[in-house]
Amino acid sequence: MIRWFTVALVTFTMQTRGLAQTDSSIAISVEDVKTEVDGMNESLTEVRNVVDALRKIKVSGYIQAQYRYTDLINQPFPLGNFSGGQFPGNTKNLFQIRRGRLKVNYDNVLTQFVLQFDVIPTGLSLKDAYVSITEPWTQSFGLQMGVFNRPFGYEIVYSSSSRESPERSRLFQTLFPGERELGAEIFYAPQLGKLNFLRVDLGVFNGSGPNANEFDNFKDIIGHVAVQLPLGEESPVALDLGVSGYFGKVRSNTNDVYSNGEPAAGVKGFVQATDTANVGKGITRKYLGGDVQLYYDVPSIGGLILRSEYIAGTQPGTNATTISPSAQPTTALYKRKFSGWYVNLVQNIGNREQVVLKYDVYDPNTNVKASNFMTTSKLTVADIKYSTFGLGFIHHWDDNVKFVFYYEIIKNEILDKGTSPASLSAYTEDVRDNVFTFRVQVKF
Amino acid sequence: MKSLMLKMFLVMVFSNVVLLAEESITVKGSDTMVILAQRWAERYMAAHKDVVVSVTGGGSGTGISALINGTTDICNSSRPMKPSERDKLKQRFGTRGIEIKCAQDGLSLYVNESNPIQELSIQQIKSIYTGKISNWKDVGGPDARIIMYSRENNSGTYVYFKDNVLEGDDFAPTAQNMPGTAAVVNAVARDKWGIGYGGAAYGKGIRELKVKADADSPAYPPIEENIRSGKYPISRFLFMYVKNKPTGAMKEYIDWILGDDGQKVVNDVGYFPIR
Repeated sequence: MIRWFTVALVTFTMQTRGLAQTDSSIAISVEDVKTEVDGMNESLTEVRNVVDALRKIKVSGYIQAQYRYTDLINQPFPLGNFSGGQFPGNTKNLFQIRRGRLKVNYDNVLTQFVLQFDVIPTGLSLKDAYVSITEPWTQSFGLQMGVFNRPFGYEIVYSSSSRESPERSRLFQTLFPGERELGAEIFYAPQLGKLNFLRVDLGVFNGSGPNANEFDNFKDIIGHVAVQLPLGEESPVALDLGVSGYFGKVRSNTNDVYSNGEPAAGVKGFVQATDTANVGKGITRKYLGGDVQLYYDVPSIGGLILRSEYIAGTQPGTNATTISPSAQPTTALYKRKFSGWYVNLVQNIGNREQVVLKYDVYDPNTNVKASNFMTTSKLTVADIKYSTFGLGFIHHWDDNVKFVFYYEIIKNEILDKGTSPASLSAYTEDVRDNVFTFRVQVKF
Repeated sequence: MKSLMLKMFLVMVFSNVVLLAEESITVKGSDTMVILAQRWAERYMAAHKDVVVSVTGGGSGTGISALINGTTDICNSSRPMKPSERDKLKQRFGTRGIEIKCAQDGLSLYVNESNPIQELSIQQIKSIYTGKISNWKDVGGPDARIIMYSRENNSGTYVYFKDNVLEGDDFAPTAQNMPGTAAVVNAVARDKWGIGYGGAAYGKGIRELKVKADADSPAYPPIEENIRSGKYPISRFLFMYVKNKPTGAMKEYIDWILGDDGQKVVNDVGYFPIR
């Protein structure tokens, strides 16, 4: 009995000692684990801070590889130039990289910094480089400065990666080549509240395009007011409207300036004004425009988009072109009243297919018509009116890849064979300059 | 060449038709709503064997991006879509999207169960989360540092809180961003001096504070009666967004969610029905 009691006592003592040791060990272990966890928490917080900072940097881009085919080798300038670039000599079909964009965006909610490059086989160019700052109180007003899209109309700010037609309308390619401009703008764009259907942009720009080629002391003012009509949450229709204005000048570098008028009795064309005071004078560049976008959810088919814009105004060009100058024109300036418009219809079929129809018209000189083209009128190739009908089909392979099939029927104004100058004889018929484009776009 | 193009065209159209014919519904978006959406999906699939509903979270912003990219049928969002997001949807799909209010939620403020603080005003909450107040004693509590838990910026809850409570101000840099409301709750449950915010459905296990609109107003807890009456000052709708007017299986699913069975699930999970 005593022996059993002794054994039990020894066992109990040992166990108690063991338990005490275990308690002590556990206490040490818990303390160690807590220290470890605290350390890991600190590390995790640091990692989170780094990740949060990196999350503000967004890198995106896209590549557009394409094949183009036109009807005729060695077309006269400027045919084909507005459908993805002029074809080189001796070819009427080619593969090309149309755009290779890489965009870095630092988005700190109220502060944005954007850099975008276009990298294609012919070189590298800067597309966007701007800072955008939104005030913190109402988060509605902001300032943007650098190189960015001109705030005019709809198509100019509509990304090339989203646009259904391979290129913008001839009108926009002429008035706003490169789309971007160096300058500063203030904007009002409330994301919340009763006025969140409104956006206003008003800016001051060099007026010489995206490159730092400012050649005069004039600064151009560009503004756009857009509203999204509040048609109600249940409405299958959405309607957005906008008006735009461009008020600027281009410096004349010669004594001569040409304006619309009658150079000879009964002849419509250009009248020359020669004056030494014309050197350094600012020639008016003024556009007014309106844009409308209608969206309708077609039952069982998909969304239908109808977009249209109209622009009219005065454009200073040269005798060779009406494309807005990006450097000081060395020859005389020609003032032309112009107008242009487009209608673009896109029908979504399910989530992946889109059918596209587009018709655009650009009349660089609304004061004249085809029968006015003659030697005495001083009208040139730059005064010829164009219309383009585009028909396309788009397949979205996934959310990154799309295939675009697009055919453009380009019609030039048909000049009078009997009276038009010999230099314009190519335009006495519709030049064979239709263009087919097959494009693959990968976006990330 | 023409033949090849025709074949490519037919393959593309045919693949689309096949995909359209499937009765599967993809749901993506708000982490706040992910449990609710999962319950909806489970109950619906149990009664409709021919429909597969896949639910994932990621945050309201992620869900809206997925809707714009065409990678989800339904986007769950704990905040309304922004005009800029509507624009992207219009550009890609020609629709402004359809907003469906599917539940109501009171955004709760959580503290640890041992924290003696019972109520805060909106202004005090704002001061805490913007870093102007960093000690509990400044809001009537003990002398202890306030540990803030917040959400990541792709979260609709984050955006709602920032817009409506912080009135657009930035969160203090010391706020720790958690990947979901459940993570916020867990963190506050572990941290004696922690504070966090999130949907009512996640409120179990920690204490929800009463909130008052301003210093002179009475404080109200985030319960159904107060949320429906608007007395509780931080309440919001929970949304579903779809690109087009729903048809077929998707319409039936959404109708079910808005019907008695779906709204009962809303109650079961801890949110408040819309009717």
